[in-house]
Amino acid sequence: MSKVTFDSLRWLEQPAQVTVTVNGGPPRAYFQATSPRDAAALCKGRLVEELPRILSILSPAHHLCAAQALDRLFNVEPPAVALNMREALRRVLFVRHFLRKFYFLASSQESPFAELRSREVRPGKRDLHGVVQDLSRHLSLAQEAAIILGGRADHPVTAVAGGVSRSLREEHHPRLAEIAAACRDCAVRLSAFVREDVFPAGKLLADVQDIAVGPLASLSLAPEPDRLILRDAKGKELERFATTALFDKVALQREPWSYEPFAFLKDKGWKDLAAGSAESLFFVGPLARLNGGEAVATPLAEAERLRLVEAMGPFPHGGVLAAYWAMLVQLLEAAEVLVATCEVEKLSGPAPRTIPTALGQEGHAALESPQGLIYHRFRADERGVVQEAQILDAATANNALLALLAQRAVEEPVAQSKPWEVARKRVELSLLPF
Amino acid sequence: MSDFEPQIIAFLCNWCTYVAADAAGVSRFIQKPNVRVIRMNCSGMVDPSYIIKAFASGADGVLVGGCWPGDCHYISGNIKAMRRAPLLQKLLGELGMEELRFRLKWIAASEPGPYQKTINEMTEEIRKLGPYKRSAA
Amino acid sequence: MSRPGQKVKLAVHTATGCRACEQGMLDVNNEVSELGRFAEVVFWPYVLGTPWEAVEGGVDVALFAGAIHTEADRQAAMKLRERSKILVSVGACAAFGGLPGLVNLAPPAEPAVAATESEDKPTLPRTEPRALALSQVVEVDYVVPGCPPTQNLLWAATLALVCRGESPARLSYSVARLPEAVAEAITSGVLPPRGTVFAGEKAVCGSCSRVKEEKKSGTCKRPYQAYDLTGRCLLEQGLVCQGVATQEGCGGLCTGVGVPCRGCFGKAPAIMDPGAKMVSAIASTFDSKNAQEIAGLVGSFVDLAGTFYRYSLPSQCALLAPRRG
Repeated sequence: MSKVTFDSLRWLEQPAQVTVTVNGGPPRAYFQATSPRDAAALCKGRLVEELPRILSILSPAHHLCAAQALDRLFNVEPPAVALNMREALRRVLFVRHFLRKFYFLASSQESPFAELRSREVRPGKRDLHGVVQDLSRHLSLAQEAAIILGGRADHPVTAVAGGVSRSLREEHHPRLAEIAAACRDCAVRLSAFVREDVFPAGKLLADVQDIAVGPLASLSLAPEPDRLILRDAKGKELERFATTALFDKVALQREPWSYEPFAFLKDKGWKDLAAGSAESLFFVGPLARLNGGEAVATPLAEAERLRLVEAMGPFPHGGVLAAYWAMLVQLLEAAEVLVATCEVEKLSGPAPRTIPTALGQEGHAALESPQGLIYHRFRADERGVVQEAQILDAATANNALLALLAQRAVEEPVAQSKPWEVARKRVELSLLPF
Repeated sequence: MSDFEPQIIAFLCNWCTYVAADAAGVSRFIQKPNVRVIRMNCSGMVDPSYIIKAFASGADGVLVGGCWPGDCHYISGNIKAMRRAPLLQKLLGELGMEELRFRLKWIAASEPGPYQKTINEMTEEIRKLGPYKRSAA
Repeated sequence: MSRPGQKVKLAVHTATGCRACEQGMLDVNNEVSELGRFAEVVFWPYVLGTPWEAVEGGVDVALFAGAIHTEADRQAAMKLRERSKILVSVGACAAFGGLPGLVNLAPPAEPAVAATESEDKPTLPRTEPRALALSQVVEVDYVVPGCPPTQNLLWAATLALVCRGESPARLSYSVARLPEAVAEAITSGVLPPRGTVFAGEKAVCGSCSRVKEEKKSGTCKRPYQAYDLTGRCLLEQGLVCQGVATQEGCGGLCTGVGVPCRGCFGKAPAIMDPGAKMVSAIASTFDSKNAQEIAGLVGSFVDLAGTFYRYSLPSQCALLAPRRG
């Protein structure tokens, strides 16, 4: 039996590796999270107001989700300006997240740190390095916007119970509008570039065009408040349920070879990943959000979505290529909404937060983070000390999908006796858009 | 644990508690030998970090002795000590320390008896608790 | 090390934590006018997928983020220390343990995941019961604190250690109140003394823009309650704000946006233990002379250890910090 471990995988948000075992027959790939990450345990015994800052260790959007849960716990309605600021921050996080993903994709074949003079510039050919620089520049701008709205970019601090912690300064408004427009224009340029070099001819993604898992059932936020939508693998709505019922529908499976549990649909029962079946799984994220086949509200994003449908057929989709394209659609949407939200009237108001008058004992919230749906629920005692916390991160929701993708990614190279490097690259490119 | 000898650090204020301790010694009161005295000008001078440092350096118990409220040589220094002690006690408790290890006690200059009683009792109570183990791997 | 024409060999790695520090470094590339001019990035799994073998060729500057929580983290720390001329703790997790360090308040008796029995299933690196800072496992040369470090301090460390004063980037450090050794390193490329922390000299109060007056409030205010969002010192208003015990360098970032400091830059250089300092600071805002009243007030402060040592439990809590090993 031979065993190969791909550690040092590019672009993973959590420390993880893929170990492939070959025992005579087809290879078996294990996607292993190599560090424990128990955010719920960190919450126990803490004051509820601390959760927005603590939970951003999972991802910046968790800061916003925790603040929303606190609104519910304190039974307050934040003022419009605070809701707009939080939503603007959420959209900025989307822009930053997707720009970073495409930055990684664009630099996948060449180090982004290579010096200019050592590179040949081919006239007339769209310069990949130029794309990388463009994305990098706008990543910085998105980061600046996140800092303006959130105090900090990766671990924001401004979302608090009942609103946000401070109003924006006068000079912030034009700067935010400027950044929003710049990011939208960058997204448009990116979409032109990927049309030539990525979709549908797929030069950068040629290696992974064939990789797909499912389609899978998908879980996303409903448009009405406090409800979630579960769709089946065909994109048809299975049910709509209250956010608090999430862990009635979803369970977590622990395997001894990964520190991160695997989410699955309770009523289908866990099926061992070795069987390769996606029947009891669901996923979250850009592709999951589009798999209902509904139109997107903003024009540039909708135009891109229609291009996807024209090239790849109607939703639902489950393949890697569709996942990248879905990210582009959502990047455009986020940038367009950001432009619409960063208007002075929307981001100004007399008070940035509503002061709670009573301390409740249960808070919950779900929201769409760039990576996918996330969920918080906590119980606190009468002093506001957290007794119990339930958290679902997008990485946990998609963990099983990532495991199956890694499996698919290694099958062909092993069957064709290609060098391990080929399998590794397929794994990296398959996992990146999820 | 009967052969364990607790090490107790006592921060004593110069004007009251230290005088009481001195008097207890001069009068040949029988005292456990487990206490090491550090003379401070006022109990209000005892920064919580001295107390934590004492425990971190190997002390099994720490006593802070000051004048009775109203008698402080510097008027309200002992009030500062009084404001710190319960908060520090709470922090130490959260870090796993038993309550009896840290004490704030008012002892007047004219009270060598209470001084003797305090340190003898404290020594025995801490002997029962055993050595203070920092929760270190 | 950095002679004309010779690039600094750079390595970047995260142990247990999150990717915020590495993502901050990605931005450095954009702002420091091409990192590629000064550095040869020999090891950066997150961005380049470089294997561990690449470290064998030697590293000049290694930027290490994340706390040491698993066997794999420990081995990574030892390997990078062995192969690197300069090892830098980047971020609160590497510098003093960070948020993962909170697990040390109640270390689990059982390991997180049971060791696997079967021969053909892969194994996981074992978890250690306590999370540790990088300096508790190997010798560290420099520290860039923060959760995550502010961009200007990351750039400062890059300019000083990688670009050696040669980058044309000009950045303002007035808010960070940097010590002289650091400022010199940035502008002239002279390496600061070993152990230097790329942060300010005193406590956050020094950089905080809020107005400080008389510190007697006699209350315990919770952040959800009403308070002056701009203007007056938060500690004075009865909130638990840890700026007084925390090293400056962020420019008073959190207090500047209306939320109390939680100490992500670690303890201020002059203090011995951040919890002790906070006890002293908060007690000094009490104005009662009555033991009962004080006891009642103290009762409303909750989770002291988890707050005062939020980012610094593993290496800066004097009572819990294990000895090196």
